[in-house]
Amino acid sequence: MSDPVQKVRDEFGTWMKENLAGEFACLKWRGTFGDDEAYPELRQKWEQKLGADGWVGVGWPKKYGGRGYSLPEMVAYNEEYARYGGPGRSGHIGETLFGPTVIAFGTEEQKKQFLPGIRAGTEYWCQGYSEPNAGSDLSNIKTKARLVGDEWVVDGQKIWTSLAVDADWVFVIARAEEGSKGRNGLVFLLVPLDQPGVEIRPITQITGGSEFNELFFTEAKTAKGNILGGVGDGWKIAMALLGFERGASTLGQQMIFANEVNEIIKLAKINGAYHDPHIRQRIAKAYAGLKIMRFSALRMLSGAEKGEWGPETYTSKIYWATWHRDLGELAMDVVGSEAEIMKDGEFGALQKMFLFSRADTIYAGTNQIQRNMIAERALGMPKEPRGDPNA
Amino acid sequence: MAYPFSEDHDMIREAVRGWAQDWFDGGQGPEGVHKAGTGFDAKAWESLTKELGMAGVAIDEAYGGAGLGDLGRVVIMEELGASLASVPFLSTCGISVDLITACGSDAAKADLLPKIASGELIVSYCDGHNALKLEDGKISGGVSHVVSAANADLILLSLRDADKIEIIAIPNKTNGLQIKAHQTMDPTRAVADIRLDAVNKSDVTIIGTISEADLNELVIQSFIALAAECIGGAQKCLDMTLEYTGQRVQFDRTIASFQAIKHKCADMYVAIEEARSAVYYAATAEPAEKTEAALIAKATATEMFFKVAGDAIQLHGGIGFTWEYPLHFFFKRARANRTMFGTPTRDYERLAVGLLGDAA
Ligand SMILES: Cc1cc2nc3c(=O)[nH]c(=O)nc-3n(C[C@H](O)[C@H](O)[C@H](O)COP(=O)(O)OP(=O)(O)OC[C@H]3O[C@@H](n4cnc5c(N)ncnc54)[C@H](O)[C@@H]3O)c2cc1C
Repeated sequence: MSDPVQKVRDEFGTWMKENLAGEFACLKWRGTFGDDEAYPELRQKWEQKLGADGWVGVGWPKKYGGRGYSLPEMVAYNEEYARYGGPGRSGHIGETLFGPTVIAFGTEEQKKQFLPGIRAGTEYWCQGYSEPNAGSDLSNIKTKARLVGDEWVVDGQKIWTSLAVDADWVFVIARAEEGSKGRNGLVFLLVPLDQPGVEIRPITQITGGSEFNELFFTEAKTAKGNILGGVGDGWKIAMALLGFERGASTLGQQMIFANEVNEIIKLAKINGAYHDPHIRQRIAKAYAGLKIMRFSALRMLSGAEKGEWGPETYTSKIYWATWHRDLGELAMDVVGSEAEIMKDGEFGALQKMFLFSRADTIYAGTNQIQRNMIAERALGMPKEPRGDPNA
Repeated sequence: MAYPFSEDHDMIREAVRGWAQDWFDGGQGPEGVHKAGTGFDAKAWESLTKELGMAGVAIDEAYGGAGLGDLGRVVIMEELGASLASVPFLSTCGISVDLITACGSDAAKADLLPKIASGELIVSYCDGHNALKLEDGKISGGVSHVVSAANADLILLSLRDADKIEIIAIPNKTNGLQIKAHQTMDPTRAVADIRLDAVNKSDVTIIGTISEADLNELVIQSFIALAAECIGGAQKCLDMTLEYTGQRVQFDRTIASFQAIKHKCADMYVAIEEARSAVYYAATAEPAEKTEAALIAKATATEMFFKVAGDAIQLHGGIGFTWEYPLHFFFKRARANRTMFGTPTRDYERLAVGLLGDAA
């Protein structure tokens, strides 16, 4: 009896060991939290290497170039990737967010048009949701789209758009019905970035890098067919895409976390921080949290496998985000006064992690929004009032 | 049927939940036990063991049990925690069963396990190997704060005899054995001090021998059941809070509609669910990981329960501070659990030793 999950581990583990070597060896553990700008070109080449051997989109159906992996196989794939220190994936927005969304909502033609480039590591995507006045309150989208002849014409502004500089396409939620409000009248458009109507301005982040950007659309154009669903379906599709965010990749992410914890432990042993009883408590708690996250993920995924995301799944984002932010603070306390010192004008890995982890409790739903969701959806408490509370 | 449970577990849960909530709402309940002053409800124990047949959940089928191991015990402890049912399940069906199973002679197993499974025997265990002395065939010394000892028919103790550790069983009426019950802050669970004054070793039964290291692991692993009790208790506190805040009106709206209340409840829920994962993980962990997992489960769950019970009182306002409203019993149980087998701080330090070596 051959266990399919073990087969994935053997096959992909071996592939990782053999291929994350030579010119790619320097990518180990790079390009993750706060380190998104490490080796951009080499990481694209790595993406293409993965693609060439069929290791991109493994969860997609076989007819779209995937391997049709089940959830446990996906978990194994992600864990093996992280076990060998696989670098942050430049193509992850296309592979894990946009790809599954086209597969679910796109026409056959759209699937043929968009999936192969993602699968080959030659086409990159970014996510155009947030706007200056639509953050937590995402439905307050103001960007406009109108159909003119055979083309959609887009005007407006997106902000905080990660990885836009290296991307070829952006998926945009825009308002297509004049005068519509909230979740109504929205479209989910696919817009090419390399055109005169699109301007990308990098925003410098707390880390000094600029992983995210502002996107300005001034009569930006895209073909009439570059829409998922129809007018009015934008909200539904945008939310479904966010649903693809949770799931199998969390276990890979946890391996990166585990690596960070190991680095902190190693350092504490070397620099003597391990003598401090308070540091010892915090390291032990961080370690316990890591174990808890792992089991929570397995518990929730086993429900998901049967098509049931239990209400407890709402707890995972705020838990890991808060845990990771705390880990950043712990890391700096373990590093001690060295935490202030930059080497050759650059932050070290733990310094980057510390700074970047401040974003974990903001993107993909802030901690406050997570608490609202948990209270309302998992616990059935009353909904937040909208608008002027005295109106 | 949710991971990691089977249909058997679900059936047990349903039966014990109904039974325990009846006891809480309309039966003796924590207040009744408080008034009786015994920290123990003999009738409830009889009904749980003889009518529902739950005492043998973790005992091998060969000895009249259900063979459902740690996970079966977790299910029952959660439900007992949600009602504070005053029964000596933790001591009798937890560590005592595990010790007898792990190191007992065939005779000891055949004698004791079926009696435990059928509810004929209440057993309480405590570490004695550093507190008791064996001289000229007589055992002397004392152990404080032993859970359920006051109600036990049989006291199990660890005893150092030369270079080995023996597990011995002393019936509660043995000459030279004194059991002194305390009045406790948590009135729903009995705690007693045990004294042995020159108890003849020939009057005790030797269950078996075990290495100190194995004993320590077994004791730590038994914390999983306590951690499960914390999950059940905390869930009940959250349920009571959701119900209360959903109907209490201030400023012309239910207080549940205030974000400060919603967020507090969300935090309670997150803490409960993550501790729940820790407990289920420990109950299903491979032997090599089980001791560490049990430490994590106990530290996380005991801290969580105390925090959640305290937050529940806060969100109830004045009514939460009254004796009449039963929240205080949960708060007191949560307090007791934090120090029952050592504090969470000590558990984390044990983990730290594994990760970082000794502090010095
Ligand atoms: C590193 C990073 C990468 C990102 N990448 C992308 C990307 O690729 N694409 C994209 O579209 N977006 C991206 N974002 C944007 C992100 O989704 C938003 O920042 C987030 O949704 C919060 O919106 P906001 O920044 O407008 O903050 P606001 O919504 O203005 O929130 C400000 C504060 O108010 C609180 N708040 C808001 N509403 C409520 C409420 N109802 N109750 C209680 N508190 C409330 C928030 O929790 C927060 O503390 C990224 C953000 C970061 C930090």
